[in-house]
Amino acid sequence: MQQFIAQTLNGLTLAGIVFLVSSGFTLVFGVMRVTNLSHGAVYLLGGYIGYSVITATHNFLYGLAAAAIGMGLFGLLMERTLITWLKGNEMSELLATLGLIYVIDDVSLAIWGGSPLTINLPGVLGGSSTLPISGIVYPNDRIFILAVSIIIALGLYYLLRRTRIGAIIRAGVDDREMVSALGINVRLVFSLVFTLGALLAGFAGVLGGTVLGVYTGGDSDILLFALAVVIIGGLGSFEGAIVGSLIIGLIETYGTAYFPAVAYSILFIPVIVILLVKPEGLLGKVNR
Amino acid sequence: MTAGGQAPAGRASAVEVPLAGPGLPAGRGTRLALTALRGSRRFGGPVAAVAVGIALVLLLQGNGFASTLVLDMLVYAIAAMSLDFLGGYAGLISLGQAGFLGVGAYGVAIAEVHFFSPWAAVGIGLGATLALGLALGVVAVRVRGVSFVIITLAMGQVLWGLAFQWVGLSEGDNGIPLTILPSIGPFDLNDPLTLRMTVLVVFAVVALLLVAFVHSPFGLSLRGVRSNETRMAVLGYRTGLHCYLAWVIAVFFTGVAGVLYLFVNQLISPATMAFSQDGLLVIMVVLGGLRSIWGPALGAVVIVLFQQELSIYLDRWQTVMGLTLIAVVLFSPGGLWGLVRAAGRRRDALIARLEARPGKRGGR
Repeated sequence: MQQFIAQTLNGLTLAGIVFLVSSGFTLVFGVMRVTNLSHGAVYLLGGYIGYSVITATHNFLYGLAAAAIGMGLFGLLMERTLITWLKGNEMSELLATLGLIYVIDDVSLAIWGGSPLTINLPGVLGGSSTLPISGIVYPNDRIFILAVSIIIALGLYYLLRRTRIGAIIRAGVDDREMVSALGINVRLVFSLVFTLGALLAGFAGVLGGTVLGVYTGGDSDILLFALAVVIIGGLGSFEGAIVGSLIIGLIETYGTAYFPAVAYSILFIPVIVILLVKPEGLLGKVNR
Repeated sequence: MTAGGQAPAGRASAVEVPLAGPGLPAGRGTRLALTALRGSRRFGGPVAAVAVGIALVLLLQGNGFASTLVLDMLVYAIAAMSLDFLGGYAGLISLGQAGFLGVGAYGVAIAEVHFFSPWAAVGIGLGATLALGLALGVVAVRVRGVSFVIITLAMGQVLWGLAFQWVGLSEGDNGIPLTILPSIGPFDLNDPLTLRMTVLVVFAVVALLLVAFVHSPFGLSLRGVRSNETRMAVLGYRTGLHCYLAWVIAVFFTGVAGVLYLFVNQLISPATMAFSQDGLLVIMVVLGGLRSIWGPALGAVVIVLFQQELSIYLDRWQTVMGLTLIAVVLFSPGGLWGLVRAAGRRRDALIARLEARPGKRGGR
């Protein structure tokens, strides 16, 4: 029972990291119809940058900020150049971002090498504590990640549901043409959303680096989690990303603990089921 | 595209001046050039095909590095051409094809290790790929475009995950070696030369079959589905079934490539099915040129050269490859084969101009 509770907490932690990555992916797709396959590579690059800054400054927050802002700027640059040049051709965007994966991975390999790195949280966050009632000893960093991702989720929810910017973004998901017809600068909204997505991925890269590590191939792992999430939750749906992340995080963790031989593969059972039963995803809208 | 449209006119006029300028005795030179150009239009394709065929046979005679390289190219060319049939013609770009290549190879390797004779193993490997293609196709072709890419990517990763984690069946990261290849009478695949020629023959058969499919009514209806599925459906075509068949064909031929991969390398491991390999196959197709069948074969040649040759001199060859893909997507959506086609159009335009010349002169 104790093990089950610990695994559940692990699953929720993973869900938190996966949510940070997939929410950006799904918002970018929802608003811009851009399938950014390099989203996972941006996550990994964020982790590497965070690692270097933390190693140099001995301050976790600096690393977190550097990764988030750095990747946000990277996303802005990418949106202003590559994505703009391709003028909304969905398949070309997908292929170009596929090419970008190889570039980012290879450059990361050149700079940081092939051995896995781990980011350590400072002070009390690096230790572990005994949970009430159950008496489980559980690492603090995971609790910290869980808390941070819940806060970010609430913040994003507030941004999307309670602010003018959020209303514009949601309207963009529903009907892009109408938004621009209303005199809103869609170009600006695109840049904003893409930057936000990359920023979240970079941020998640540092958080994920603490418990999952920063390693070559970590990008395709997280990308696949994110893709599974958006298929389950529905491409473009923020709430779907939350639900999907919980499903994927928990299944992956239980699978690894109890069915190691097929852990990775059973992750995709819900994906296949959703595709057969409700191809638009749990909370997705029917494609027009 | 606009640059490609303007270039032929510019090139044609540049050549035309020395050939039949005002001061030159036109006539013989022009006629000679015209005959040569018409000859290349008429016989260029077949002559090139025969030349490449002879070159391949000669290259495969040796035991050295070159023949290994060519074998690798042929195997990946089969997979890339199959992917082009699905992605270029039906518009369904799959990012999980390396997974099916692995299924063919693992099917044979596992069957041979655990239960059966080499020939039965080949049957089981191909049968398993076909069965899996038939089953997964039901799920995959429910969606189109970007969703299809994502779903096939997920499928490829499930297959990779099984190969990597299901150690009891797949030996995990170590992979499974293959020691004995099939043989019957004098036809023995354990003989390197026989194996090489077999790979070449299978490549040729698959390529010709795919070209035949492309030009058949089935292939034409696939193009129709890609450009406007609703219209095709309204016209009474069972578009879903067409896509499903294209998928099954592509998966099966990729499985064939997988079996040959196993024969050539005598080892199959999860690395062959990794996400980067899925991407590599797509890069071969896009770099070579979508919708051309032969283009992706050319793409396979280039990418295998990148992998095996460029990597010796350049540590960052993957960066070069990624940037190449981005450049192709941005500047030359037709890929390498698109350049070949553009050259052909330029030649045809030149022929047309030369043919028109006598008439123009008469009018002066």
